[in-house]
Amino acid sequence: MALLILVITPLLAALVSLAVRKKILFLEVTAMIAAPVEFTAAMAIAAEVYRQGDSEYGVYLAAGPLEIVVLFTVALVGLAAAFYSVGYLREEVRKQIIGFSRVRQYFVLFHFFLMAMFFAVITVSPIMMWIAIEATTLSTAFLISFYSKASSMEAAWKYLIINSIGLLLGFFGTLLFLTPGSESGADRFIDWHALVEGAGTMNPTLARIAFIFVLIGYGTKVGLAPMHTWLPDAHSKAPSPISAMLSGALLNVAMLAILKFKIVTDVATATSFSRNLMIYFGVVTITIPAFIIITQKNYKRLFAYSSIEHMGIITLGFGFGGLGTFGALLHMIYHSMAKSVLFFSAGNMLLKYGSTKMMKVRGVLSVLPVTGVLMLIGFLAITGMPPFGIFLTEVYILSAGIADHLPVVIAVVFLLLLVFVGFLRHIVGMAFSGRTDTDPAPGTIGESNLLTIMPPVLLLALLVVAGFYLPGPVKSLITSAASLING
Amino acid sequence: MAYLNQQALLVFATIIFAPAVFLHLTNKNTSAVRLYMVQSSAIAALLILSSFDRFSPLIAIAIVATVAVKIFIAPYFFYGLIKRHQLTFSVSTYLNTPLSLLVIAALLALTQSEFFDALAVLSTSGEKLLRLAFATILISLFLSINRKGALSQMLGILSLENGIVAFALFAGLEQSPGLQLGITFNILIWVIIATVFASMIFRRFGSLDVTAMKKLKG
Repeated sequence: MALLILVITPLLAALVSLAVRKKILFLEVTAMIAAPVEFTAAMAIAAEVYRQGDSEYGVYLAAGPLEIVVLFTVALVGLAAAFYSVGYLREEVRKQIIGFSRVRQYFVLFHFFLMAMFFAVITVSPIMMWIAIEATTLSTAFLISFYSKASSMEAAWKYLIINSIGLLLGFFGTLLFLTPGSESGADRFIDWHALVEGAGTMNPTLARIAFIFVLIGYGTKVGLAPMHTWLPDAHSKAPSPISAMLSGALLNVAMLAILKFKIVTDVATATSFSRNLMIYFGVVTITIPAFIIITQKNYKRLFAYSSIEHMGIITLGFGFGGLGTFGALLHMIYHSMAKSVLFFSAGNMLLKYGSTKMMKVRGVLSVLPVTGVLMLIGFLAITGMPPFGIFLTEVYILSAGIADHLPVVIAVVFLLLLVFVGFLRHIVGMAFSGRTDTDPAPGTIGESNLLTIMPPVLLLALLVVAGFYLPGPVKSLITSAASLING
Repeated sequence: MAYLNQQALLVFATIIFAPAVFLHLTNKNTSAVRLYMVQSSAIAALLILSSFDRFSPLIAIAIVATVAVKIFIAPYFFYGLIKRHQLTFSVSTYLNTPLSLLVIAALLALTQSEFFDALAVLSTSGEKLLRLAFATILISLFLSINRKGALSQMLGILSLENGIVAFALFAGLEQSPGLQLGITFNILIWVIIATVFASMIFRRFGSLDVTAMKKLKG
């Protein structure tokens, strides 16, 4: 039942938001009721999966340990983003940047976006998953062009076209994977379970070709290089809460699609083909942003490139396998939390300074004391400094590759250092440098409102705690998910 | 599609493949939309023929929806866009015509290569059809990449989707009517959103040339 609630709640919230006339408060209340309900439903599903191994609703919706990991990140980031959005949009309305119709448009699309992600995770059909992921593109395109500026329109168009092409290639790969069940007639409804069961009889070469298409297709959505070009534009132009959801939730959903097909491919080919391919894409995806981060001038793009880099690390972890898979799954969770904190901080800075250019953002610690601290700690967490969880997961991932891929591990360590140095330079500049002529007036110093502070503070607290202590059930679910992927 | 012999299917495959090539050659937007309509009509005909041995009301609805979206609604939106903004001619390409034709020839050769022999597993009797549909996919993909015009990019994506549907039909990988409806609905929404965006781009940049959008770098 919780599975159904998870899909129905955002749909209802979207419809209610659509029906609201004039009162922004109703839109806010709807979002603040729906998000906790969705998070509770996700937790209920996780509890059921922990107890029984899986959770099902009818023949169309199901979740296992792997889905739970992604579901948790989507529900958590969705919850934080819903509350943050209320505070963020209130401030934009107060400044007359947007009006009621824009706020309504925002919340309607926000709920549809969440619904599409939830559905993509829990549907049992690969085709339905494709439809849902395509629906995430369609629901977010107008959120990326939300401010109707030339640059946001450019970002949205790039996002729409590149992702549509990528997803069509992913669709083609998906169709190729459906071959094993083709004897059962055209009106079949193939689910993931049947796909894995039939994979043993699939032609290995066909499985390889299919996986290449899937990896390129869904990899475009994940932000794997060299198909990543849409990501910095889209993530930097969208409203900050949406940037957090794109980085912290959507990338994981697309990664889930790749992982599910990886499981099928490994059965069909009985080789390390998929793992080698993921190592290759992982390394390229870490390398490109590592060099761009150093020269970056825009803090939202900086965080977006960091997302690409982390997707590369995660892909590398799945490529290495073994402990690397466990590390990669845990990394997905930590990255979602840390990146959301950073994008929420970016939103607060944008509200205060009115610019995303790092040169124009100086003295954040004195102008926005809480946001400044959030940004600093978020930076330490995202660059993998101890004692944060990302340090641990990167150690897991890299140690998994030492035996068989030592040169790759050495290169990645160098690249991670490069990212740290690049980040450090920018963050220190923004946090500590003296005031500039673009600084806010002294009277306006301080945070915008409580709702723009509490979600990132709570997320950061959770991130810190999770770095030191992982509850037994969480560890057990991640271990089960890793076993599924490792085969 | 037991009703059709290989020759007839090859004719359909050619009708789907040829517009993908001609879309590279045409400079007039209205001609490009017409080519897409021809390609979509062949797809629709194949869908109808493939449903004869499994006919049901839901399949009929799925086919009607596909025909409506691909042959009527999408072209209607595109013609509206062309008329509203007087977009008679499409903007230029990254590669000139001879070079584009060379790339098309190379892509066609690639689909006939040994690398894709594995595709024959899907249908031993219809291997030629599969290779032709696969060539349509690659050539349409190239169209989206090579064209600078937003409308041409959109047509390239829809032609790519037609190529995938043709491939699925030739390989016997048709989806259940419910899923087909879902896919068609997705395409409909995509067409509407992409057309709205194209209109917004024209109003903002004064053309559909995507190279005019240069704000985001680095």
